[in-house]
Amino acid sequence: MHEVSIALNLIEIVSEQCRKSGFSRIDSVNVRIGRASGIMPDALNFAFDAIKDDSMAKGASLQIEVVPVTGRCGECSNTFSVEEDYILSCPACGGSSFSIISGRELDIINMEVS
Amino acid sequence: MKVRVVTKILEANDRIALENRKIFNRHGVYVINLMSAPGAGKTTLLEKTLEQQTGLRIGVIEGDIAGTDDAERLETFGIPVVQINTGGACHLDANMIYEVLGDLPLQDMDILFIENVGNLVCPAEFKVGEDIKVMLLSITEGHDKPLKYPLMFQESSALVLNKIDLAPYTDVDLGKIRRDALSLNPGLKIFEVSCKTGQGLGEWVGWLKETGLPGISG
Repeated sequence: MHEVSIALNLIEIVSEQCRKSGFSRIDSVNVRIGRASGIMPDALNFAFDAIKDDSMAKGASLQIEVVPVTGRCGECSNTFSVEEDYILSCPACGGSSFSIISGRELDIINMEVS
Repeated sequence: MKVRVVTKILEANDRIALENRKIFNRHGVYVINLMSAPGAGKTTLLEKTLEQQTGLRIGVIEGDIAGTDDAERLETFGIPVVQINTGGACHLDANMIYEVLGDLPLQDMDILFIENVGNLVCPAEFKVGEDIKVMLLSITEGHDKPLKYPLMFQESSALVLNKIDLAPYTDVDLGKIRRDALSLNPGLKIFEVSCKTGQGLGEWVGWLKETGLPGISG
């Protein structure tokens, strides 16, 4: 539901970067979205397309790389990824002390400008 | 031409949140971002908290999509209340908070509650400058909620299970809520409360005093 806010922030950042680089048109934007970030890629794409018309990203496409949730077990040091958008325990030893390595990303990586 | 950007999408929001945090710290106000689904009892919990003789000087920012009902309920306690209407947005963001800071006597407050828009998803994503996030779950929402909305449970420092007096009339598994919530967030502090009967409110208020008053907890 908050994908519109995310898309607005995204367009603001890439437009500023585009201007700073001396270009006037954004052709594509690559972002990395973690599965545990609370963002639905389809909804973000929809929001981006709905609001881009009044910006330098008017003709831009949005490419979303979805990053899986991965963790490292604090008990057996196993590194693992899960299908869900959360981790409850280490799949190897069942330990519940773990750190989340990836899955919370909400990052812009790069863009094509002209 | 390809241009590297490598920026967090919410970088601008996080920057303003940090500014808000500095302002709060300067005034010695402890800020709690209060979140839940609509109807879980956020405003009622605040009313019940204000009814207790806590000695705490409390202020509230009310976030709602529309309307001033909640702010009016709290104003009857004679405390500083500011209403934000998001006009459709499903969460409060840092800039909305920044814009109303001048309307609050921050220097005369111990705790500022920011009552977020009722929603279990979006508010978890946007920092507003708070010290901690506290979430409410009314037990009638069901024991599946921690695993359906993991981000909210992971981001919160405390979970208030409200409407606990209704437990005998439902099939809710309170043990499962606790187990799943603590698996997602081992440090989570959990309170079982009924704003209707008053059960558990003493423990909640005791924790608020410890947490929110500098000098007692540091």
